[in-house]
Amino acid sequence: MTRQKLVLIGNGMAGVRCIEEILNLRPDTFDITIFGAEPHPNYNRIMLSKVLQGDTPMSAITINDYAWYEERGITLHTGETVTAIDTVKQVVHTDRRRTTPYDKLIIATGSLPFMLPLPGIDKPGVTAFRNMKDCELMVETAANYQRAAVIGGGLLGLEAARGLLNLGMKDVHVIHNSPYLMNRQLDPQAASMLKQELEQQGMRIWLEKNTERIVGRKRVEALQFTDGSRLAVDLVVIAVGIKPNVRLAAESGIDVHRAIVVNDRMETSAPNVYAVGECAEHRDMVYGLVAPLYEQGKVLAKAICEQETEGYHGSVLYSQLKVSGVDVFSVGDIEDSQLSTMQMSYDGIRRTYRKIGIRDNRIVGAVLFGDSGDSNKLLSYVKQGADISVLQQEASASGSGAGGGTTEYVSGLSDSETICSCNGVSKGTIRATIREQGLETFEQVRECTRAASSCGGCKPLVSALLQCALESSDEDAVQAAPLCGCTTLSREQLKDAIAASLTSSTREAMAALGWKTEDGCGICRPAIRYYIGVLGRVSANGRDQVSTAALTAAAETEAADTLVEEGAYAALANGTYAVQPRLYGGVATADQLRRIADAIERYQVPLAKLNGDGRLELLGLSAEEAAGVSQTIGGPVAAHMYGRPVASVVTCGGIAYERGAVRDSVAVGAALERRLEQLQLPTTVSAAVSASPLHRAGSLVRDVGIVGVPSGWELYVGGSAGIEVKEAKLLLTEPNERAVVDTAAAVLQLYAEEAVYGEPVWEWLDRVGVVAVRERVLDPRSRRTLLLRAQYEAEQPMAIRGECS
Amino acid sequence: MKRKLYPYEHVAADRGGAVVTSLVMETQCPFCSVQCKMRLTESGSAVVGEPQYTVEAKPNRASEGRLCVKGMNAYQHAVSEDRILYPLVKREGGFERISWEDAISLIVSRFKQIEEQSGADAIGVYGGGSLTNETAYLLGKFARVALRSKYIDYNGRFCMSAAASAGSKALGLDRGLTNPLSDIPLAKCIVLAGTNVAECQPTLMPYFTRAKENGSFIIVIDPRETETSRLADLHLKVKPGMDASLANGMLRALLDEGLVDEAFVRERTRGYDALRSHLLEQSLDEIAAMTGVPADLIRKAATTFGRAATGMVFTARGVEQQTDGYMAVRNLLNLVLLTGKIGKPGCGYGAITGQGNGQGGREHGQKADQLPGYRSIENPEHRAYIADVWGVDPNELPGKGVSAYEMMEKVYEGDIRALLVMGSNPVVSNPNASLVQAAMERLDLLVVADMFMSETARSADLILPVTAYLENEGTLTNLEGRVLLREGHRPAPGEAKNDWRILCELAEGLGRGAYFQYERAEHIFEELRVASRGGLADYYGITYDRLRREEGVYWPCPDPAEEGKGRMFEASFAHADGRAELIAVDNHWPAELTDDEYPIYLTTGRVLSHYLTGVQTRRSHTLASRDFESFVELHPKTAKQYGLADGKLAVVTSRRGEIVVRCRITRTIRDDTVFVPMHWGDSQNVNVLTNQALDPTCRMPGFKVCAVRIRPFISNHPYEI
Repeated sequence: MTRQKLVLIGNGMAGVRCIEEILNLRPDTFDITIFGAEPHPNYNRIMLSKVLQGDTPMSAITINDYAWYEERGITLHTGETVTAIDTVKQVVHTDRRRTTPYDKLIIATGSLPFMLPLPGIDKPGVTAFRNMKDCELMVETAANYQRAAVIGGGLLGLEAARGLLNLGMKDVHVIHNSPYLMNRQLDPQAASMLKQELEQQGMRIWLEKNTERIVGRKRVEALQFTDGSRLAVDLVVIAVGIKPNVRLAAESGIDVHRAIVVNDRMETSAPNVYAVGECAEHRDMVYGLVAPLYEQGKVLAKAICEQETEGYHGSVLYSQLKVSGVDVFSVGDIEDSQLSTMQMSYDGIRRTYRKIGIRDNRIVGAVLFGDSGDSNKLLSYVKQGADISVLQQEASASGSGAGGGTTEYVSGLSDSETICSCNGVSKGTIRATIREQGLETFEQVRECTRAASSCGGCKPLVSALLQCALESSDEDAVQAAPLCGCTTLSREQLKDAIAASLTSSTREAMAALGWKTEDGCGICRPAIRYYIGVLGRVSANGRDQVSTAALTAAAETEAADTLVEEGAYAALANGTYAVQPRLYGGVATADQLRRIADAIERYQVPLAKLNGDGRLELLGLSAEEAAGVSQTIGGPVAAHMYGRPVASVVTCGGIAYERGAVRDSVAVGAALERRLEQLQLPTTVSAAVSASPLHRAGSLVRDVGIVGVPSGWELYVGGSAGIEVKEAKLLLTEPNERAVVDTAAAVLQLYAEEAVYGEPVWEWLDRVGVVAVRERVLDPRSRRTLLLRAQYEAEQPMAIRGECS
Repeated sequence: MKRKLYPYEHVAADRGGAVVTSLVMETQCPFCSVQCKMRLTESGSAVVGEPQYTVEAKPNRASEGRLCVKGMNAYQHAVSEDRILYPLVKREGGFERISWEDAISLIVSRFKQIEEQSGADAIGVYGGGSLTNETAYLLGKFARVALRSKYIDYNGRFCMSAAASAGSKALGLDRGLTNPLSDIPLAKCIVLAGTNVAECQPTLMPYFTRAKENGSFIIVIDPRETETSRLADLHLKVKPGMDASLANGMLRALLDEGLVDEAFVRERTRGYDALRSHLLEQSLDEIAAMTGVPADLIRKAATTFGRAATGMVFTARGVEQQTDGYMAVRNLLNLVLLTGKIGKPGCGYGAITGQGNGQGGREHGQKADQLPGYRSIENPEHRAYIADVWGVDPNELPGKGVSAYEMMEKVYEGDIRALLVMGSNPVVSNPNASLVQAAMERLDLLVVADMFMSETARSADLILPVTAYLENEGTLTNLEGRVLLREGHRPAPGEAKNDWRILCELAEGLGRGAYFQYERAEHIFEELRVASRGGLADYYGITYDRLRREEGVYWPCPDPAEEGKGRMFEASFAHADGRAELIAVDNHWPAELTDDEYPIYLTTGRVLSHYLTGVQTRRSHTLASRDFESFVELHPKTAKQYGLADGKLAVVTSRRGEIVVRCRITRTIRDDTVFVPMHWGDSQNVNVLTNQALDPTCRMPGFKVCAVRIRPFISNHPYEI
């Protein structure tokens, strides 16, 4: 297919932006030619003020350098003016006698400064403020002269005046014909605050003054005003406005009103000819600000690429004054006569002013002086025509009446909270993505996380999250405290480091990770051993016999490697050990109790008692005594291998004896304990099974709680009755005993793999979110994997453990 | 020596060297009526084994390249291990695998036997609104030509019947939206009556937010605050079932404020005088008391809508699933017509269809009283035309049957002895579900064609495995009335077959195979084109080629060379006289009112992550993990009054049964009303509670309101140790 010829007249912001959009939509469809009358590639005209003010070098305001055009195969003719368009033959002619055919033509000739028809306007030293050339002239003049006058106290005029001050001119005057500055954007209050501020900066401002003529012989010498007064100046900058540059279009027979008339698809009256930017007139409006031009460019790009577009429906106008030290923002209707009411606040000390225009209970405009922090929010309110209730909500959320409500709201949410309900994106995911991928704009976040990409309702929340994340990015950069004195690694980093190190013993790991001590300490050793053990379990998943054997070897080596006192039994504060006989589901037989009693007598166990989570413990034993005790008991005891075991599963009275019982908690408790008994976990995990939602076994404050209900069994996870009291969260309801025991095992396996050593279940659950855990245990594939790994554990011979019956 | 015990490297190397194969499927979401287009890529490799899935939204004119969480995860159920892969027969209470040949011949012989004993009408067919146009069409033909039974209806009865009959009667034609979606942002005032777009059709929301950005005033009518009502400028928290009365209040206010578009009413409608005198009898204060909406808010809504330059009204199940659903929609259409807001850009009415093919499903003969092309089974000319297309004697065509729930009653009473259910789960979706369950058990033969062991399939004598949307090509008609072609590239798992193919094989067995000779879905569509030709829903101008080329075509489209009609009724309505019909609508109380025994209203609806009875979405782990169980939403005052607490189980009881669900306490619902979603079965099946009373015109059950009482499932009295 041959490429279509696309010609752009005008190498300015609106036109080139549109070309960028087209290249994004259809990269290889067009042969593009651009004509620009100015001898530069495309630059950011808005930033000319900044250049003039000395804040920014010229090079920094170039948007697209020559290389940009080259890389995209765009033919660029700078300093060349198109003189005629033949809309019948579809060609353009230029002042260099070039004739270029087009299939599609975009006119983006922008506008020309409006030069007052004053006598003397053409004298040297009189200039507009529109392009780089004007800028250069002003810079040159400022180097040799001291006195300047800017005619026009609007946005551009004030920016020019500020620039001239920055260039070192002593007397800078602003001549304005209205009773107050920026009268199209501000109200008298904001304008008078602005005037005061600018006068403090050294500007001289003359209001309601009209220039009669410009006086001077060779070059400008003074301004003569209609009131008879006169002002001596060396430079005059005319900044009273712009007029659309439409001569070319008009002469080529294209419909022109105030500017080139376009429809919602930016089409002019001539076929295949489009107009965009300041030279275009859409529904009687000509826009001179950048945002509308970009919006038009988007629509035009789609129209040219023949893609579905809703068309352009006009823009909401807003403006921000770019004068250093002055913070002014204005949008929409703010003139009192246009409003039904308004919300105003004025702070004479901080010198801030804020007015929100309201008509028929909708926000229609705003002006901010001194603090434009809320400008984006207000702009979106005006664009949406938001109901005033949003202001009321803000007031109640922040208590102060201004700003910040959404930000505070999102920062109060937990990481597991869903922000985008359409796509199920949590706060944690958004935060992590922003951090990891270094996102900076809302659009990037939407792209990368899909949040706000469907209904868009959560956009304010996502934006607020982004803002919070950007503000707190330095907090994330702070290095977390090291695990212990043996290493610089934090507890989170240690886990990843072990996974990456491929080592199979604690000593090897310590050597590989540059441990400061030879044997580590009581804090790091168990952690390292745990990670090695659990990683072995993960990697052995579904593998062949070789790796199984390898793991056994590892476990044995490990046992030999490590110091004996960290072996099989629960270590106690005074260096002795505890033996914890297993009574599945808390059910004991006379024989079991008799053997335990025998062991207590034979080894003179210092303390035998029931602990907080229902375990029977025999405390205060030496390692040898502990081994003897478990031998005497002859039944299963809680196994401490490389991690911590599940404690006894506590049950209530069960279906036969418990009032309100719905299901048999005792049987499920025993089944659960048998299923979980070999799992090695980052902390000791408590579990309880209740026969009904009365939670008689305390199922709401256990790491794992199972509860009989009419539809089956509820599974609660993440309860705690320890230093932090936590109510467990309902994970799922399973239809039968087998399913709920399986799910509990899968959840604990996931916890074993994902948690940091020592991290309690509730903390892990808060971190990853209950929905994410649910998804992992419901997904048949990951569920199968988790169960396989949990099962594998049970089948492994253990290096040191009590004998099983 | 350094021991390398954990084979990470091997896995990585293997992964790197593995040949990854991908299947790229251009498809569309199987769920709601927006029918968002998407691309699903399934890639797997010999070594890694487990396939990976990626989903990308594809730009198209309805969803504009958006997908919601349901669409993003819609592949999960289709590739799930729960799929039924082989025909199953029930023996001694359990299901056993059986061959297709045996299954078909077993069904055929039982059908024949029952027909001999009790007549052709003893066999019923029950379809669904998610079936393609091709299957829906063929199911109707199968009932009438292969079985010659009058008993066919479908779950679309619960979806669209009120709006469909109201649209037909008022405007002369029922097409979901009278306008293209792109008109919505042009409306300056929008009434969303009983529709929760944000949670049911989330990808449509940007049309409404865009309208709002353009300055539209949005009025939501709903007893609950929903994600949709958060967009509203004005939320009328109406008592359940009182929408028609609320509309009367709005109409009266229009009259009072002189906001009736007299010229439009005069030139384009009939019945105004009767409506006007009826409205003059209405008292806004009485209506305020009946509906629970203050009079000034009713007036504000009416005047805002009346004064707006453009405006649209949308309804969905909240208004329609009522025992006066038909009349309630008529009254909202009165609102549209009295203000002249139809047939212009930014002006119109929309019934937001619930099911993926709720629109197409009703046009082509699954409904008890309809023949393809929206033809009437009682109109001799229509019968003759269709009989001619089918090549049968018009007299051979059975007459009109009964509506979906009435079919269940016929089953219960023993009039229907065998039932073929295709693409539906009536045990969960019908009102008064306990009776429906009992009815299923009473059948001599229940054949269920499904992908999964649905609650209904459990009671089946035979289960026939069908293909999923990824595997079954066909057309669907979205809520706008735009016909879309869904390709089906994925090979069917196990022995699953396309539903239409099963119908052909059964017809063959029944000796009527000559009427069911199709190789591909497109062949059925070709016949459907002809069958619909000249009907109200004329698809004649639509072909697969066009659908592929144009990304969808609006019906009516009588000519292959013409574009379908995006905006209807610009010059005239579809009645013979070209006028729309206004009608006086009486204030109506719900069929069941609260009393001392059942003091609270129950209303039902959807949640974002599930669809219909959840047979598919509950089998998607991502969706199930968002909402894994049902719940009852209630106001803190109600909770306090009945001793309920957030997160605890409650027993909700109606005159028909009881369910146990978890409490969600929120101020966003009226304190005289509780809400339970509709996606769960068994002890959480809200339809065990709902009232089987039907709308007299459209036979829609009044799902959205019944009277219940509520108590804690268990309470912890101190003396109960």
